[in-house]
Amino acid sequence: MSAAPFLEIRDLRKSYSRGAIPVLNGIADTMTKSDRLVIIGPSGGGKSTLLRCIMGLELIDGGSIVLDGRNYIARTDNGKTFIDRVLQRQVGMVFQHYTLFPHLTVLQNLILAPVKRNRERKSDAIGRAETLLSRFGLASKLRSYPSQLSGGQKQRVAIARALMLDPKLMLFDEVTSALDPELIAEVEAMILGLADGGMPMMIVTHDMGFAKNIATKVLFCADGTVMESGDPQTFFAAPKAQRTQEFLAKILRGTKV
Amino acid sequence: MSDYHFDFFYVVHGFARLMQGLVISLELTATAIGIGTFSGFILALATSSPNRLLSVPTRLFVETFRCTPALIQIVWFFYCFPMLANVFWSPFTMGAIALTLNLTAFNSEAYRAAIQSVPSAHRDASVALGLSKWTQALHVVFPQALRFASPVLVSNAIGLFQQSSLVAVVSVEDLMYQGKILAVETYRPIEAFTTVAVIYFALSFPISQLAARVERHYARLLA
Repeated sequence: MSAAPFLEIRDLRKSYSRGAIPVLNGIADTMTKSDRLVIIGPSGGGKSTLLRCIMGLELIDGGSIVLDGRNYIARTDNGKTFIDRVLQRQVGMVFQHYTLFPHLTVLQNLILAPVKRNRERKSDAIGRAETLLSRFGLASKLRSYPSQLSGGQKQRVAIARALMLDPKLMLFDEVTSALDPELIAEVEAMILGLADGGMPMMIVTHDMGFAKNIATKVLFCADGTVMESGDPQTFFAAPKAQRTQEFLAKILRGTKV
Repeated sequence: MSDYHFDFFYVVHGFARLMQGLVISLELTATAIGIGTFSGFILALATSSPNRLLSVPTRLFVETFRCTPALIQIVWFFYCFPMLANVFWSPFTMGAIALTLNLTAFNSEAYRAAIQSVPSAHRDASVALGLSKWTQALHVVFPQALRFASPVLVSNAIGLFQQSSLVAVVSVEDLMYQGKILAVETYRPIEAFTTVAVIYFALSFPISQLAARVERHYARLLA
């Protein structure tokens, strides 16, 4: 591929307990602006941690991230190292467990950050929220509280809430893992819709069908490193690394893909 | 049983005075609740701060108010504080300060537990949304902590309403003070103090019942 990398992760390292428990051992990879990077791998392999580091939720030991030509080098501050916070403002993230604020309505959840963080006028934020929610078929839920929504609706609202901040990159961390099977499709359809709209994204998922569907590039992460990466056709049909072959054999045995 | 003859004539006569006192009692209580409901939360954040410069003095503050009698706190603010700080405010103000600080200390303990009940995933979401620590505390943590802590906050508030009667000793003209005056002037302490007790009860009991009901309602919802 000739396109300039949109996101470049260099030698990202993280450990817990002062290096005793390594989680990321120098992860490095790139993605272009048109890529949908799907990260798969065994639990504890560092997939979620990678997303959390990019989002600024975790301290790191070292490494850097280049987004859209700008290098966000790890900064050291009182012995703690983290990626420059400016990066956070360009990235949106949705989590496995519903993280809507339960005391706020759908609309209030959506406008909280734009109004409080970006000092956007409340009426403007409400207008954008209404447009966004009707685009995703959630207009009728505007004044509902999260407890009144289904799991699928909650995750769709959470995605809309992240989109309110106009992120350049979206991170999805197992967003369908906690959902009942019949609710997964609506969330995946929404993410596919965003992908069609040209939103660059990184997706951690255990759903291989969805991974095949949406990925333009697949990353296999285990033991805190990238074991294999490539385009989804080659990756799923003819994985090169032995760990990848074993993982896919294990996970595909029980699932229809 | 003694053959005491109850005579409420003078108490009924002095009822307007008792009501004046009640207004003062309610003003004191409302001031303490109005401030203490929020300041208790801020204090709870400070006591659980990883910064020891913040957590140690605030914990000391909380324990001071929890481990000394409210009566001493009120007397101290009335007699000692003005001398030390060289400020002379009205008895009402001094009483209000003592009661507010007392309630703040007790409420902060209620909030400390409640803050821990707010799911940590909300912290992640707040960071992902780029909310400042202050916005997060005010708009994400506080409303949820308020809900979790409300049973204890209500019982603290009822307790404070009772404790407010202690300001009578520093001549704040509250319900207790007016009852005492009435008892002395009419030579009818039994009627006067019984009436005062009934008034305290009549206001506290329904609130505590209502609070227990609301608590059961939420407990069912969360079960």
